[in-house]
Amino acid sequence: MSDPRPTDAYFDAWRGGVIDTMLGVPATPEQRKAEHYSKFNAGILDKEAREKFTFPAQYMFKDVPDLGEIDDPIALLLAEMDRFNVSIGMLNVSTNPIAREAVVQHPDRFVASFNVDPNEGMESVRTLEAAVKELGVRSAQCFPAGLYPQVPINDKKMYPLYAKCVELDIPIFVNAGVPGPRVPMDCQNVAYIDEVCWFFPDLKFVMRHGAEPWTQLAMKLMLKWPNLYYSTSAFAPKHYPDDIVHYANTRGADKIMYAGYFPMGLSLERIFSEMPQVGFRDHVWPKFLRENAARLLKIA
Amino acid sequence: MTTPVDINAIGAIDLMLSVPSGDPRRWYDFLRKSLRDKESLEDFEFPAQYMFKNVPHFEEHMDDPLSYVLSEMDRHGIAMAMLGTSFANEDTRRIVKEHPDRFFGSFEVDPNRGMESVRELEAAVKELGVKAATAFPAGMSPQVPINDKKFYPIYAKCVELDIPICVCAGIPGPRVPFECQNVAHIDEVCWFFPELKFVTRHGCEPWADLAVKLMLKWPNLYYSTSAFAPKYYPKDVVHYANTRGADKVMYAGYFPMGLSLDRIWSDMPDVPFRDHVWPKFLRENAMKVFQLDV
Repeated sequence: MSDPRPTDAYFDAWRGGVIDTMLGVPATPEQRKAEHYSKFNAGILDKEAREKFTFPAQYMFKDVPDLGEIDDPIALLLAEMDRFNVSIGMLNVSTNPIAREAVVQHPDRFVASFNVDPNEGMESVRTLEAAVKELGVRSAQCFPAGLYPQVPINDKKMYPLYAKCVELDIPIFVNAGVPGPRVPMDCQNVAYIDEVCWFFPDLKFVMRHGAEPWTQLAMKLMLKWPNLYYSTSAFAPKHYPDDIVHYANTRGADKIMYAGYFPMGLSLERIFSEMPQVGFRDHVWPKFLRENAARLLKIA
Repeated sequence: MTTPVDINAIGAIDLMLSVPSGDPRRWYDFLRKSLRDKESLEDFEFPAQYMFKNVPHFEEHMDDPLSYVLSEMDRHGIAMAMLGTSFANEDTRRIVKEHPDRFFGSFEVDPNRGMESVRELEAAVKELGVKAATAFPAGMSPQVPINDKKFYPIYAKCVELDIPICVCAGIPGPRVPFECQNVAHIDEVCWFFPELKFVTRHGCEPWADLAVKLMLKWPNLYYSTSAFAPKYYPKDVVHYANTRGADKVMYAGYFPMGLSLDRIWSDMPDVPFRDHVWPKFLRENAMKVFQLDV
């Protein structure tokens, strides 16, 4: 049984500084929709999601952060990070110039990730390589269900990108499990990860966005494949899957890492008010909140 | 009708030739685990021999195979030939290094070995100077279809290295399943990798008409005539070379694996290529696609 009481180990680890492997640049919901979500409207057929939602998975989230008018998004983000002891956050810099600016101005506070689109073929491979060499990007990321057309995790179109990640020695963060937006799920079936880990044993593959409802399979696969990891993005700590917490507490302490979802769907306030109640064992906390991500992203 | 063009003076480039080394009885060991019929396993020395009359016998030249091959090339006006090489094969490595005016190297990839094969290919280009990748999908164990995901990292690397890949297409001679070499699979590869220079090998039969359609459609798809005596060059391919495809069809032999250069070059003048096709077919297309003047 997990102990629901916050432990000293949690607070010690938290005070040591958290690495958040999924943060976003604060923007109004409309800006976010224009920059990001409008792209996969092409694949959304139901009227409610298409016309009424500003955030395509909003039916699942209470209290999506509303930050009002934003003068200085970077300052706002840093202030929120400071409030909750998040020392370093990973930002997707592939399209957002403010995210790029944040990484350049505050290299001690941000690391960059780069979104890839396997539908673009070699163009995406070259862009990723240039991003690593010129922008110092530390990871690739991909949202298979949000691509248009969708690309299954084990699809051949992904293979040149996986190969490039191996060559560049960077991890790739990939959404796995039923996607929130109302698009088909199959491309993100956790089962597909098995084949990828087999063919690319050196690839560091990090699941994002829960892997639900296949968390048991996710755990089995993490046991099987040394370079397969899990990050908790888009889940409030209250909803971290039992399988994952159990695995972290037993053999998987080095495999599970924290990721938030601020400001896309969760506030850091919500996340860190629930966090102390997660039933991780003492030795797991520093690995979960910081060390696993630091190792993977090569943060000293 | 014999061509009036002096084809022996063009300085032909042969895109499939080998200087044998090692024990000839072991050359096809890699195929044995895929073969099931008794004749292939017990009687054949060469797994496609049921199709070839007069497979060249090399035993008497094994003391100095290089001199023999060079004299055969000279006799038929072959200026240069592509030779498979590898880090493991010292003989071919030395030949390519010591005779850069007569030979250039190619490197056989194995998609079943994943990133290891990708790394080796890159090293072969950088350290051995090879000019092309080669692949025999039906001869792999397990077989790997031309459009299989396992091939994709290798195709991507060929694009990055700016080298062509020569791939066997059409029904394979050895008695193993053919589907992996279906010419139809090439379409998807050319679509996803528009910059990839893809050169078919070993005939594309019986889908030569499809091969022609695809060459019309995809600017970087080419055809080489390996393992076919000129008498048997598919009509569709000859017609295509004579009409819109003069830049797409290239000579490759099969000496000494299955055909002698005597046989090839005695058939050759009777191929009904139009005059302007000959220099392209025998030399210029290969110079361009394999970047031999760089």
